[in-house]
Order: sequence, then structure tokens, then C-alpha cells
Amino acid sequence: MEALLDFSHWSGIYDFMNTSWGWPTIESLHFMGLSTLIGTVGLFDLRMIGLAKGIPMSALHKLVPWGIAGYALNVTTGFMFVSTAPDQYLFNPAFQTKLALMVIAGVNVLVFYRFSWGPVKRSGADDSPPRAARVAAAISLTCWIGVIVCGRLITYYRPPYFWCFWC
Amino acid sequence: MDYLLWLEETPFSIWMRESGPAFFGSLIFHSIGMGFVVGLHVAMNLRILGVAPGIPLSLMRRFFGVLWVSLVVVSVSGVLLLIAYPAKALTNPVFYFKLSAVVAALIITRALTRAVLQHASYDAISAPRRARVLAALSLLLWAGVVTSGRFLAYTYNILMASHQY
Repeated sequence: MEALLDFSHWSGIYDFMNTSWGWPTIESLHFMGLSTLIGTVGLFDLRMIGLAKGIPMSALHKLVPWGIAGYALNVTTGFMFVSTAPDQYLFNPAFQTKLALMVIAGVNVLVFYRFSWGPVKRSGADDSPPRAARVAAAISLTCWIGVIVCGRLITYYRPPYFWCFWC
Repeated sequence: MDYLLWLEETPFSIWMRESGPAFFGSLIFHSIGMGFVVGLHVAMNLRILGVAPGIPLSLMRRFFGVLWVSLVVVSVSGVLLLIAYPAKALTNPVFYFKLSAVVAALIITRALTRAVLQHASYDAISAPRRARVLAALSLLLWAGVVTSGRFLAYTYNILMASHQY
């Protein structure tokens, strides 16, 4: 926690975030990154679940690199929040749950590309993907919506009133 | 200011402010809804701008059901948040900027729907320049909506009308 705060001070992030417009500006970018992820990876998931048949999944997947860019933006901006006020996040059950959901989403991505991406890529415009792909899509959507819920709840569960589920 | 004072004293407004689940529930639904509204526009506009050309453009309309549901969710949750702190938003110019940007962006969506999404004409060829300009403008407007929405929590002058007296 000290190291995070030290880095924030050393890098100038702390001073930037404590200007009158720094924090809300980074929050705005964080929300744009989130929206981009929903609009790309989220739509790909919705298509695999069965929405918007007629759109080839391989074509829709071309949007995913933009979602990865949104994700990278959010890891960066997210780090700026956490390093500036680590005590508000690290001991916060909403933040801990958010990270856990991101880990699940990450494992889900690896499993999806290892086992399902091949058949999904080769499937036709009106096809339903294999069951494993549909399950992965549902897990992905659930995780990312859960991440938004937890993100909003971070300000609700402010330490020191709440610590964590397992302490 | 009088009607703001009246509104914030109504039992429903008090409940929206003081109940954690009511207030945070509305915030959460507003965020998820905005994520989908903005996200769907990001996808649609990127496609019009030439990203992922393999997606038949007219079929992007098949996501409009999700868009409509999301628009209803953001509107309802937005009104609830407004009822919780009416003076906070209604006395802040940023709020009117946000609403104007939403309206302008949705007018563009309707224009783009009519121009390039309604028929299969642009499924395989690139959209006309005018549509691409509108798509870029739409992206800018939604960025403005998100930014002004975030700044609403930081730029208000009056939190509650009753604090004025």
C-alpha cells in the first residue's frame, strides 16, 4: 500500500488526481473504456448467446481489439485511482469482489480461446455457437456487468466501516 | 426554487435520498444502462466509420432491442436520481449540457438509421462520407455525455434547495 502511494506521489499521478478536475476526468475516461468494452466484447457475447443472428461471429469479433483498448485504458485509469487512495480500495469489499470478477472473466477468456474460438470462427452467419461458447459468453456478460455493479458500490462500502469478507 | 423545495420534501424524494438500496440501486442501473447505450453507439459508429466491415451494416439494427431497453433503464433511473436531489442537477448548467448532448446524439442515431441502416445498400460497401461525419460526431457527443455525467457529481453549486435558506 505504501509502495502504491509512493509511486503515485513520485509519478505525479497523486498531484494530478488531486487537482479539481483530475479525478472526474479520469473517471470519465474510465467510463468510456467500460462502454467500449460493453459495445465490443459485450455485443460479441450477446451474439453468441443468440441475439442478432445473421451477423457472422467472426465479423463481429473484429470489434474486439477496440474492447481490448478500452480494457487497457481502464487498467491504466483504474491504477490511477487505486494508487492515489489505496486505503479506499484495497480494504473495500466492493473493490475486492470487482477484482475477483475480473480474474474470473480473464480465466474465461483463456478457456474460450483455447476451446471455443475455432468452431465459433468457422460458424455461419445464422448459426448458434457450441454450448461451451454460449456458456463462456454468459459468464463474460455476467462478470462485466458485475464489475460495473462493484465499481459503483466502491463508494458505498467505504473503509473503515467495511473491510473485507474474509477478515 | 420553490417547486424544488417542495419536491425534495416529498416522502418519495426523501426515501430516494436516504435509502442506500434505492439510491445506489438507481446509480447502478444508470451505469449499466449507460454502458450499453454508449457501448452500442460505439459499435455502430465504429462500423459506419469502416471498422469490422464484415458486419452487414443493416443487421446492426438487430441490437436495437437492447438499445431501447437500455434507454428506458437510463431514463427511469435518471429521473429517480433527479428526484433524489432535484436542485443538485437542475441548478447546474452541466446537467442541461448533458441532456442536450443526449438529444443531439439520439437525433443523429435516427438520421443514421434512416440513411444507412434501414436498407441493405451499405452492408458490403463503405458508408457515404456524410454518414461517417455524423458517426464521428455521435462518438464525440457520447463522450461529452459521459464526461458531463461524471462532472455532475463534482460541479454542483447547490446540493439541496433547503440548504439555501
